[in-house]
Amino acid sequence: MKKPFRTAALLLALVLYAIAFASQLVLRRFLSVHGLLSADEVLIVSFVAQTLVMFVTGFAVTFVARSSGWRELGAASLLMVGVAFAALKKIEPPSFSPDHYLARTDELVVWALLVGLAGFLLALWGGSFALIIGASESVELKSGYEAGIARTHLRLDRSMLLRLAWIGLSIPGTFFGVGIVFDRFSNGHQVPLWSLPASALSFLAFLALLGDWIRSRVREARLKPGQKRKRPATQVMTFISIAGVAVGVWALTVVLAVMSGFELDLKKKILGTTAHAMLQRFTGDMTEWRTIAPKIRAVPGVVGASPFVFGEVMISHRDALTGSEIKGIEPSTVGQVSELPKQVIAGEVAWIDDPSQIPRLPAKPHAALSSDLQDQDPDQYLEDTYERRKRHPEEDTASKIDDDALFKIPGICIGKEMSHALRVWVGDVVSVITPLGDMGPTGPVPRGKNFRVACILYSGMYEYDMKFAYIGIPEAQSFFRTKDAITGFELKYDDVDAARGLGHRVLDALGNFPYRMRDWTDLNRNLFSALKLEKVAMGIILTFIVLVACFNILSTLIMLVLEKTKEISILKSMGARDASVMKIFVFEGMTIGFIGTAMGILMGLASCSFVERFGLKLDADVYYISSLPVIVEPGQFAVVALISLCLAYLATLYPAIKAAQLSPVDGLRED
Amino acid sequence: MSELPPSDPVAQPAIPVATLVPETAAPAQAPMLLEARDVHKSYWLGDKEIHVLRGATFGVRKGEMASLVGPSGVGKSTFLHVIGTLDPPTQGQVLFEGQDTGAMPEETLSRFRNRQIGFVFQFHHLLPEFTALENAAMPALIQRLPVAEAHKRAKEVLELVGLGHRMDHRPGELSGGEQQRVALARALILKPKLLLADEPTGNLDEATSEGIHQLLVQLNQQLGIAALVVTHNPRLAERMPRRLRLADGLVVDG
Repeated sequence: MKKPFRTAALLLALVLYAIAFASQLVLRRFLSVHGLLSADEVLIVSFVAQTLVMFVTGFAVTFVARSSGWRELGAASLLMVGVAFAALKKIEPPSFSPDHYLARTDELVVWALLVGLAGFLLALWGGSFALIIGASESVELKSGYEAGIARTHLRLDRSMLLRLAWIGLSIPGTFFGVGIVFDRFSNGHQVPLWSLPASALSFLAFLALLGDWIRSRVREARLKPGQKRKRPATQVMTFISIAGVAVGVWALTVVLAVMSGFELDLKKKILGTTAHAMLQRFTGDMTEWRTIAPKIRAVPGVVGASPFVFGEVMISHRDALTGSEIKGIEPSTVGQVSELPKQVIAGEVAWIDDPSQIPRLPAKPHAALSSDLQDQDPDQYLEDTYERRKRHPEEDTASKIDDDALFKIPGICIGKEMSHALRVWVGDVVSVITPLGDMGPTGPVPRGKNFRVACILYSGMYEYDMKFAYIGIPEAQSFFRTKDAITGFELKYDDVDAARGLGHRVLDALGNFPYRMRDWTDLNRNLFSALKLEKVAMGIILTFIVLVACFNILSTLIMLVLEKTKEISILKSMGARDASVMKIFVFEGMTIGFIGTAMGILMGLASCSFVERFGLKLDADVYYISSLPVIVEPGQFAVVALISLCLAYLATLYPAIKAAQLSPVDGLRED
Repeated sequence: MSELPPSDPVAQPAIPVATLVPETAAPAQAPMLLEARDVHKSYWLGDKEIHVLRGATFGVRKGEMASLVGPSGVGKSTFLHVIGTLDPPTQGQVLFEGQDTGAMPEETLSRFRNRQIGFVFQFHHLLPEFTALENAAMPALIQRLPVAEAHKRAKEVLELVGLGHRMDHRPGELSGGEQQRVALARALILKPKLLLADEPTGNLDEATSEGIHQLLVQLNQQLGIAALVVTHNPRLAERMPRRLRLADGLVVDG
């Protein structure tokens, strides 16, 4: 029966669409002014809110229209395109093209069309839920027999479910078992005691599974041709669909875990060397730093603050020369804001303040050096620096200076790569040169000063180890001639991810202007936004695998609908509602999607923790990382599962609606 | 003809409309149960329109039992589908207890089919993956009765058709006669007012057909369910109290 076009539904759709946009705009404005959320989070929250309202729009309109309501929603969406265009014209958003500052009209048209399309599709999606629970007439939430029929179609009885769980658990378990046993007996690593019987058990379970399969094949082979039970094509397709979803989810979770691992590794290294945030003045140096330091430290959430003086210099040793960013630090407080003291592989950070402690003879590298340097070749490095200095002390200027003068030369800490490039070791004398020198008769003359290497640092970031050098604040102040002023403060917070909000708090405590705060996300914006873009792009690309897998579900369900046309007719002749028929096929698709997703997540978890536990070696010279980093983020896994289930649900809609629309006589007439 | 508002046929009391219908050879003047008024049905085969029913008019009274005969391809099944509300007529009305089924929305129609009409098809049309008990219980489950209640009723009705010992067998493990009995049990579980049987013995042997027919007559007498049985078998048709014939798209007595 043709359903009439309902104006009430159209009006409702328009009102709700308007609310959706309003909620997005209001939330965005409100959150960006009042909240501690970052710009990205504000965007995500507001758009999720809009999406939800559009979802509800479809749901509500379907109830009012008493049908799928696609005509009403379509008309409303078309009107929305016009309104969106007018609104965008007014707002003048920035252009995506680099040639223009503001978006051009054709860009706005595309934007508005996309908005309309997205609204339409989201609303249809929401409406499908309403259709399933019976929006066309009366709501019916019960679905007992529909679930039963769906289960029967998929042949999902208890033994089948048990077998699936068995497969899902015993295969990764066996892998793990092999890994653990290998770790214990080949590498000689300590493993928890329970893990040995557990891995043996899962191996046995795997063998039992294999045996069971072989037995069933043998039994089948022994049957006479007529006795063989034919497996319906749809059942085979069901398994293929499940496998497809599982593989897609698996790939998505593993890749995202690896990317998160890289990101975290990078973050750890960056935050080990640089602080969480930097407090500076908008212009000029900070002369009042002694008075504001306690104020900063008193702000709740701030766990450390250390003053610094910053300058760019060149450092030379004999004929080797390198550019460097040099930082004057307070050795007593620098440990509060960064991991510097922990990165020392030779010497002491404290020797910066007390250069007389720096020994004349080459100081021994710390015992943990070889494990610190991970898989880089520490021997080659030591050969070039420490061993060489032991054999040829005369190569360094220090040998030509007498004790009195030598122990007065201030200390400097440099990175491991720099020490390698300059061929210096703890105790050697390097000269630091700044181009901002005095005016000589022939123009500016660079100014230089000698420093003795007090310690060598290894952060794990090549750039940092090559570029950064540290001296004491008084030396830096006199070298750069800033009198008693400093460049700013380095801060550490108790929660890295709340850096933005805490930064505002500190600024408020100091009375804002003329101070400004840059946190680690600002300081490394390029790096992290590149990483994020990469992650999003990989996520989207790999979601396509899941999407393709869901097309499998779609075709399987279409096959099932065709196979069960007669059954659908019979059910309808017995009084099954359209919504019930729809439920049957949505259940079937969702079951396939759910089992596939669960298995994919399980495989993803297993392979991630496998890599995490046993490692996958990388060439450390290329990646500066010795093994593939993986991080299992539960939230990320949950999002992947959600996406996969949503796609599976969408894949069920077309076959389910087609099945529901079959007339009762379609299947009865065929005989 | 007065249009009745679409409403729940279960809740509405029966309205006798006997006066509107030509007198038939029905033994008792029981109220009219199902009426077809000037029913037309045509199909499109490519560009060609095939008129199967051309103004068929007929009625069944409560508790009445009738047979419908006619040559193959004359549209007996189509007629049964149309009066059973499985297929809407191209033109005309099908009234059940005085209510126009054409005006009922989908859900009301489904509920109506579920509770008032029982179908038995030529090919049993049982769900192959379910046991006899589950098949017979299906209409009760569709009505959302609790599973225990549905199974209890299915057992009763299976025993009524003499299949108390075959409840846990799947259709594939049952003989043709047994399958048709399960189909009958399924049609009767919700005690409908009208049973529509489309050649229920069409592909059964003589003796089995006889058994099914006796069962039909017995159920009609015991439960008072009106029945319209389409059949090919003239001997069986003869034994029905009322005989109908479908010819040239019209239903005629005799």
